[in-house]
Amino acid sequence: MSSLEVKGISKAFGGVKAIDDFSFEVDGHDIVGIIGPNGAGKTTVFNLLTGVYSLDAGQVFLDGKNLTGLPQHAITRAGIARTFQNIRLFRGLNVLENVMTAADPYSGYNLLDVCLFTPRKRRREKAVKDLSRNYLKIVGLEGYEKEKPESLPYGMQRKLELARALATNPRILLLDEPAAGLNPSEVRAFIDLARTIHAQFQFSIIIIEHRLEVVMELSSRIFVLNFGKLLAMGTPAEIVCDRAVTEAYLGEEETECSA
Amino acid sequence: MEYLVSTLTFTGITLIGVLGVYMVTGLTGLFSFGQAAFLAIGAYVSAVLYKNLGLPLPLAALVAMLVGLAAGLLVGLPTVRLRRDYISLVTFGFGEAIIAVLNNTANITGGAMGLSGVPQKTSFLLVFASLLVCVAIVISYKNSKYGRQCLALRNDELAAKSMGINVERLKLVTFLIASVMTSFAGVLYVFYTTYVEPGAFGWVISAEWMIIVFVGGVNSLTGAVFATFILTGLPEFLRFASEWRIAIYCVIVLLILNFRPSGIFGEHEISLSFLQKLFRKGARAA
Repeated sequence: MSSLEVKGISKAFGGVKAIDDFSFEVDGHDIVGIIGPNGAGKTTVFNLLTGVYSLDAGQVFLDGKNLTGLPQHAITRAGIARTFQNIRLFRGLNVLENVMTAADPYSGYNLLDVCLFTPRKRRREKAVKDLSRNYLKIVGLEGYEKEKPESLPYGMQRKLELARALATNPRILLLDEPAAGLNPSEVRAFIDLARTIHAQFQFSIIIIEHRLEVVMELSSRIFVLNFGKLLAMGTPAEIVCDRAVTEAYLGEEETECSA
Repeated sequence: MEYLVSTLTFTGITLIGVLGVYMVTGLTGLFSFGQAAFLAIGAYVSAVLYKNLGLPLPLAALVAMLVGLAAGLLVGLPTVRLRRDYISLVTFGFGEAIIAVLNNTANITGGAMGLSGVPQKTSFLLVFASLLVCVAIVISYKNSKYGRQCLALRNDELAAKSMGINVERLKLVTFLIASVMTSFAGVLYVFYTTYVEPGAFGWVISAEWMIIVFVGGVNSLTGAVFATFILTGLPEFLRFASEWRIAIYCVIVLLILNFRPSGIFGEHEISLSFLQKLFRKGARAA
């Protein structure tokens, strides 16, 4: 169980306000979605939460701990993990090693162990390896440990990104368009996988997604961003019928809705 | 025979320096044009301490390595925050600065005349044993979380940070290990040649080491070792070609960049398990 509290975050690039005074909270063991038209600032929110960009204003708290202004790696270790919209796996490392790098910061041996070839190093290495294998198994990449990530099909690369994010031992998992580029049956499989993972671990998930069926099915609440501002929030059913949301996506038009 | 041994000894000392470059450039992707300066630091500090102050050799060697560490910290701390191209500039400046210092402190270092009269204490066996230890440490480093994280950050720094890797610290740690290792090679060097001059440690040496790493395969320790023997050893044996060494290097580098951009070995290593696999394959074929 964990709680993420985001208070009035803002970010401007030059004169463009990418995110303008956006606040939200995620409590307990939840899945929430962030949607919005292209350029609404969805990925910017993730980049602000994970410290890729510095905040112009606002604060981020995770379980009461202030994460504002911490460097990226410290935020990840505090418990915010993410995947990337345009897959960013480590070439030059195999599938298993990709996951291991994410688990490594917790492996608890030091440089002295490396230089003196201690049994502790061997033991901890093995533990990290087993742990990483387990994450690969969870996402269904068993048997691909030795493959190069770039030689995997696209859908599997997405799964590997997910396994790698899991290996950082998160309290909050941010998924940036996890279903982009997947075919309909893969999207179906991803929704099931996300459900399984969410049930298995104690963290909350925040999903950015253009495929509305993913967000609608998975999330209990949805935030709609438009031009960096919060346009609407509510349950999937409420969002579908929200006039402002349909206008933002489709322009002003008479729509019929029963809810 | 003596000639062969001395060539192998020099190659061994060079290889320890190349191992440092392999860690910094091959694994981590930082271009250090000042790596040879650490060789100079190790050589000069240990030689001066031993010759002028009468310190016992092991202690002089230890102090030389510590000075190398301190120098590494001095260059490393501000540079790891910089973008990669600026790191090359700063390390280049540092390397040339060290040479200028050596040239201008003639009362201690002998200046451009060089430092002579150092007793020969290094033997082939000592170099060979040191080399084995250094190679073992680099292998252990590569196959640890450090090596993995270095490769990860070389590949995608932003993603590496997002996986909880403290990128700046990791760069610094790698750079420092390389500094100490190269300083140690400097100690071996000066107590073998018995004479050093500042000109022997210029950026050309650092560049040569980097070329060796690239020819061998950026990501491959086996490649670095192999290329060191070919590129340092060979010109010594082919005496007639030694004047053409730089030219030969250039041609080799051009050929490799053209036909095998990731170096001779690329990312491959010859390890025990690899040899076993090869052996089994051979047995099956026979």
